[in-house]
Amino acid sequence: MIGNDIIDLHLAGQESNWQRKGYLSKIFTAAEQEMICQASVPSDMVWLLWSCKEAAYKIVNRLTNVRIYNPAKFSCSLPDDQGDTVRGSVLHEAQTYSFISYRNSSCIHTVAVSHDIFLSSIDVYTGGSLPLDLFTNKSLVKNQDGIPYLMNCFTYSPIPVSISHHGNYVGLVQQKAVL
Amino acid sequence: MDKETLITQLKEIVKPYAKNEEALLNINENTDFVNDLKINSANLVDVVLDVEEQFNIVIDNESMERMLNVKSAIEIIEAKLGAQ
Repeated sequence: MIGNDIIDLHLAGQESNWQRKGYLSKIFTAAEQEMICQASVPSDMVWLLWSCKEAAYKIVNRLTNVRIYNPAKFSCSLPDDQGDTVRGSVLHEAQTYSFISYRNSSCIHTVAVSHDIFLSSIDVYTGGSLPLDLFTNKSLVKNQDGIPYLMNCFTYSPIPVSISHHGNYVGLVQQKAVL
Repeated sequence: MDKETLITQLKEIVKPYAKNEEALLNINENTDFVNDLKINSANLVDVVLDVEEQFNIVIDNESMERMLNVKSAIEIIEAKLGAQ
Protein backbone atom coordinates (compact mmCIF):
# COMPACT_ATOMS: atom_id res chain seq x y z
CA MET A 1 0.00 0.00 0.00
CA ILE A 2 1.18 3.47 -0.88
CA GLY A 3 0.12 7.04 -0.25
CA ASN A 4 1.56 10.40 -1.16
CA ASP A 5 1.05 14.09 -0.56
CA ILE A 6 2.45 17.13 -2.28
CA ILE A 7 2.51 20.68 -0.94
CA ASP A 8 3.14 23.86 -2.92
CA LEU A 9 4.85 25.84 -0.16
CA HIS A 10 4.03 29.23 -1.65
CA LEU A 11 0.32 28.38 -1.89
CA ALA A 12 0.29 26.77 1.56
CA GLY A 13 1.62 30.04 2.98
CA GLN A 14 -1.27 31.89 1.34
CA GLU A 15 -3.99 29.37 2.21
CA SER A 16 -3.16 28.64 5.82
CA ASN A 17 -2.22 30.69 8.83
CA TRP A 18 -0.70 27.95 10.98
CA GLN A 19 0.18 30.57 13.59
CA ARG A 20 -3.46 31.20 14.44
CA LYS A 21 -4.43 30.33 17.99
CA GLY A 22 -5.28 26.66 18.46
CA TYR A 23 -4.17 25.57 14.99
CA LEU A 24 -1.06 23.57 15.87
CA SER A 25 -2.53 21.89 18.96
CA LYS A 26 -5.52 20.59 16.99
CA ILE A 27 -3.47 18.67 14.46
CA PHE A 28 0.01 18.07 15.89
CA THR A 29 1.16 16.00 18.87
CA ALA A 30 3.07 17.71 21.69
CA ALA A 31 6.33 16.23 20.36
CA GLU A 32 5.60 17.54 16.86
CA GLN A 33 4.78 21.02 18.17
CA GLU A 34 8.16 20.96 19.89
CA MET A 35 9.84 19.97 16.60
CA ILE A 36 8.14 22.95 14.91
CA CYS A 37 9.31 25.32 17.67
CA GLN A 38 12.89 24.06 17.43
CA ALA A 39 13.08 24.08 13.63
CA SER A 40 15.24 26.67 11.90
CA VAL A 41 12.31 27.40 9.57
CA PRO A 42 9.17 26.50 11.54
CA SER A 43 6.79 26.78 8.57
CA ASP A 44 8.85 24.23 6.60
CA MET A 45 8.53 21.83 9.53
CA VAL A 46 4.76 22.43 9.72
CA TRP A 47 4.32 21.42 6.07
CA LEU A 48 6.80 18.57 6.20
CA LEU A 49 4.95 16.99 9.14
CA TRP A 50 1.59 17.73 7.53
CA SER A 51 2.57 16.00 4.27
CA CYS A 52 3.74 12.94 6.24
CA LYS A 53 0.41 12.71 8.07
CA GLU A 54 -1.54 13.09 4.84
CA ALA A 55 0.51 10.46 3.00
CA ALA A 56 0.06 7.97 5.86
CA TYR A 57 -3.65 8.81 6.12
CA LYS A 58 -4.08 7.90 2.45
CA ILE A 59 -2.74 4.41 3.20
CA VAL A 60 -5.03 3.99 6.20
CA ASN A 61 -7.97 5.26 4.15
CA ARG A 62 -7.12 2.75 1.38
CA LEU A 63 -6.95 -0.09 3.89
CA THR A 64 -10.05 0.73 5.92
CA ASN A 65 -12.27 2.67 3.50
CA VAL A 66 -13.08 4.93 6.43
CA ARG A 67 -12.74 8.70 6.20
CA ILE A 68 -11.68 10.48 9.37
CA TYR A 69 -10.14 13.84 10.21
CA ASN A 70 -7.83 13.41 13.15
CA PRO A 71 -4.28 14.36 12.11
CA ALA A 72 -3.00 14.33 15.70
CA LYS A 73 -3.54 10.56 15.74
CA PHE A 74 -0.75 10.27 13.18
CA SER A 75 2.50 10.69 15.05
CA CYS A 76 5.62 11.51 13.00
CA SER A 77 9.26 10.90 13.79
CA LEU A 78 12.06 12.17 11.56
CA PRO A 79 15.24 10.37 12.58
CA ASP A 80 16.99 11.00 9.27
CA ASP A 81 16.73 14.61 8.07
CA GLN A 82 19.21 15.26 5.27
CA GLY A 83 17.65 18.56 4.27
CA ASP A 84 16.40 17.80 0.78
CA THR A 85 15.54 14.18 1.65
CA VAL A 86 13.93 13.22 4.92
CA ARG A 87 13.25 9.66 6.02
CA GLY A 88 11.16 8.62 8.97
CA SER A 89 7.97 6.96 10.07
CA VAL A 90 4.41 7.75 11.04
CA LEU A 91 2.75 5.82 13.86
CA HIS A 92 -1.03 5.34 13.71
CA GLU A 93 -2.92 2.96 16.00
CA ALA A 94 0.10 0.69 16.59
CA GLN A 95 0.93 0.52 12.87
CA THR A 96 4.07 2.15 11.54
CA TYR A 97 4.29 3.62 8.03
CA SER A 98 7.70 4.51 6.63
CA PHE A 99 8.05 7.57 4.47
CA ILE A 100 10.49 9.52 2.33
CA SER A 101 10.03 13.25 1.79
CA TYR A 102 11.68 15.09 -1.06
CA ARG A 103 11.80 18.84 -0.65
CA ASN A 104 13.17 22.01 -2.10
CA SER A 105 12.41 25.67 -1.46
CA SER A 106 9.08 25.53 -3.30
CA CYS A 107 7.59 22.11 -2.71
CA ILE A 108 7.48 19.06 -0.44
CA HIS A 109 6.54 15.62 -1.74
CA THR A 110 6.11 12.80 0.76
CA VAL A 111 5.64 9.15 -0.13
CA ALA A 112 4.54 6.70 2.56
CA VAL A 113 4.36 2.92 2.37
CA SER A 114 2.68 0.25 4.48
CA HIS A 115 5.85 -1.89 4.57
CA ASP A 116 9.50 -0.87 4.23
CA ILE A 117 9.92 -3.40 1.45
CA PHE A 118 7.75 -1.24 -0.85
CA LEU A 119 10.18 1.67 -0.61
CA SER A 120 12.46 -0.11 -3.06
CA SER A 121 9.67 -1.02 -5.48
CA ILE A 122 8.01 2.30 -6.22
CA ASP A 123 8.39 4.95 -8.90
CA VAL A 124 8.03 8.55 -7.76
CA TYR A 125 7.33 11.58 -9.96
CA THR A 126 7.35 15.17 -8.77
CA GLY A 127 6.86 18.19 -11.00
CA GLY A 128 4.62 20.69 -12.71
CA SER A 129 2.85 17.99 -14.72
CA LEU A 130 2.89 14.23 -15.01
CA PRO A 131 5.01 12.62 -17.75
CA LEU A 132 2.63 11.52 -20.51
CA ASP A 133 4.46 8.24 -21.12
CA LEU A 134 3.24 7.15 -17.74
CA PHE A 135 -0.17 6.71 -19.29
CA THR A 136 0.94 4.91 -22.46
CA ASN A 137 -1.36 1.92 -22.88
CA LYS A 138 -2.72 2.56 -19.43
CA SER A 139 -5.74 4.37 -18.13
CA LEU A 140 -6.35 5.90 -14.77
CA VAL A 141 -9.35 4.29 -13.11
CA LYS A 142 -10.92 4.50 -9.68
CA ASN A 143 -12.66 1.68 -7.87
CA GLN A 144 -16.06 2.11 -6.19
CA ASP A 145 -14.37 3.62 -3.14
CA GLY A 146 -12.55 6.26 -5.17
CA ILE A 147 -9.14 4.57 -4.89
CA PRO A 148 -7.07 5.15 -8.06
CA TYR A 149 -5.28 2.53 -10.16
CA LEU A 150 -3.42 2.56 -13.45
CA MET A 151 -5.04 -0.14 -15.56
CA ASN A 152 -3.04 -1.82 -18.29
CA CYS A 153 -5.22 -1.63 -21.42
CA PHE A 154 -4.11 -5.07 -22.62
CA THR A 155 -3.79 -7.18 -19.51
CA TYR A 156 -6.29 -5.26 -17.35
CA SER A 157 -3.89 -5.66 -14.45
CA PRO A 158 -4.29 -2.78 -12.01
CA ILE A 159 -1.22 -0.98 -10.66
CA PRO A 160 -1.85 0.84 -7.37
CA VAL A 161 -1.12 4.54 -7.72
CA SER A 162 -1.43 7.60 -5.50
CA ILE A 163 -1.69 11.08 -6.98
CA SER A 164 -1.59 14.43 -5.20
CA HIS A 165 -2.11 17.93 -6.62
CA HIS A 166 -1.49 21.26 -4.94
CA GLY A 167 -0.95 24.62 -6.58
CA ASN A 168 1.66 24.35 -9.32
CA TYR A 169 2.74 20.85 -8.39
CA VAL A 170 1.65 17.31 -8.91
CA GLY A 171 3.14 14.21 -7.33
CA LEU A 172 2.60 10.59 -8.24
CA VAL A 173 3.79 7.33 -6.78
CA GLN A 174 3.11 3.93 -8.27
CA GLN A 175 4.11 0.44 -7.40
CA LYS A 176 6.51 -0.93 -9.96
CA ALA A 177 4.81 -3.39 -12.26
CA VAL A 178 5.68 -6.99 -11.47
CA LEU A 179 7.64 -8.39 -14.41
CA MET B 1 -31.49 27.21 16.54
CA ASP B 2 -33.08 25.55 13.52
CA LYS B 3 -31.19 23.62 10.87
CA GLU B 4 -31.54 26.25 8.14
CA THR B 5 -30.02 28.93 10.39
CA LEU B 6 -27.15 26.59 11.23
CA ILE B 7 -26.50 25.83 7.56
CA THR B 8 -26.51 29.57 6.76
CA GLN B 9 -23.96 30.18 9.49
CA LEU B 10 -21.84 27.24 8.34
CA LYS B 11 -21.95 28.60 4.79
CA GLU B 12 -20.38 31.86 5.97
CA ILE B 13 -17.72 29.94 7.90
CA VAL B 14 -16.65 27.68 5.03
CA LYS B 15 -16.85 30.44 2.39
CA PRO B 16 -13.18 31.55 2.58
CA TYR B 17 -11.94 27.95 2.22
CA ALA B 18 -14.39 26.50 -0.32
CA LYS B 19 -12.97 26.20 -3.83
CA ASN B 20 -16.17 25.10 -5.53
CA GLU B 21 -18.41 28.19 -5.77
CA GLU B 22 -21.37 26.28 -7.17
CA ALA B 23 -21.35 23.71 -4.38
CA LEU B 24 -21.07 26.55 -1.86
CA LEU B 25 -24.08 28.26 -3.42
CA ASN B 26 -26.09 25.04 -3.14
CA ILE B 27 -24.83 24.05 0.28
CA ASN B 28 -27.19 21.69 2.11
CA GLU B 29 -27.17 18.95 4.71
CA ASN B 30 -25.62 16.46 2.28
CA THR B 31 -22.71 18.70 1.25
CA ASP B 32 -19.28 17.21 1.86
CA PHE B 33 -16.55 19.68 2.85
CA VAL B 34 -13.82 17.90 0.90
CA ASN B 35 -15.53 16.11 -2.00
CA ASP B 36 -18.08 18.84 -2.80
CA LEU B 37 -16.70 22.16 -1.51
CA LYS B 38 -13.11 21.09 -2.31
CA ILE B 39 -11.82 22.46 0.98
CA ASN B 40 -8.12 21.71 1.40
CA SER B 41 -7.55 19.28 4.30
CA ALA B 42 -5.15 21.77 5.93
CA ASN B 43 -8.07 24.24 6.02
CA LEU B 44 -10.52 21.81 7.66
CA VAL B 45 -8.88 22.70 10.96
CA ASP B 46 -9.69 26.36 10.24
CA VAL B 47 -13.34 25.38 9.78
CA VAL B 48 -13.23 23.58 13.14
CA LEU B 49 -11.58 26.58 14.87
CA ASP B 50 -14.05 29.02 13.26
CA VAL B 51 -17.00 26.87 14.39
CA GLU B 52 -15.57 26.82 17.92
CA GLU B 53 -15.29 30.62 17.95
CA GLN B 54 -18.66 31.29 16.34
CA PHE B 55 -20.65 29.00 18.64
CA ASN B 56 -18.42 29.31 21.69
CA ILE B 57 -17.97 25.55 21.97
CA VAL B 58 -14.96 23.22 22.20
CA ILE B 59 -14.67 20.50 19.58
CA ASP B 60 -12.59 17.62 20.89
CA ASN B 61 -10.55 15.45 18.53
CA GLU B 62 -13.09 12.65 18.73
CA SER B 63 -15.78 14.96 17.34
CA MET B 64 -13.41 16.60 14.86
CA GLU B 65 -12.75 13.14 13.40
CA ARG B 66 -16.27 13.16 11.91
CA MET B 67 -16.41 16.80 10.82
CA LEU B 68 -16.15 16.12 7.10
CA ASN B 69 -19.62 17.22 6.00
CA VAL B 70 -22.44 19.60 6.85
CA LYS B 71 -24.60 16.89 8.44
CA SER B 72 -21.92 15.84 10.95
CA ALA B 73 -21.00 19.45 11.68
CA ILE B 74 -24.62 20.23 12.55
CA GLU B 75 -24.88 17.14 14.77
CA ILE B 76 -21.69 18.10 16.59
CA ILE B 77 -22.68 21.76 17.05
CA GLU B 78 -26.17 20.79 18.30
CA ALA B 79 -24.75 18.21 20.72
CA LYS B 80 -22.16 20.67 22.12
CA LEU B 81 -24.73 23.49 22.46
CA GLY B 82 -27.18 21.08 24.10
CA ALA B 83 -24.57 20.03 26.64
CA GLN B 84 -23.94 23.59 27.79
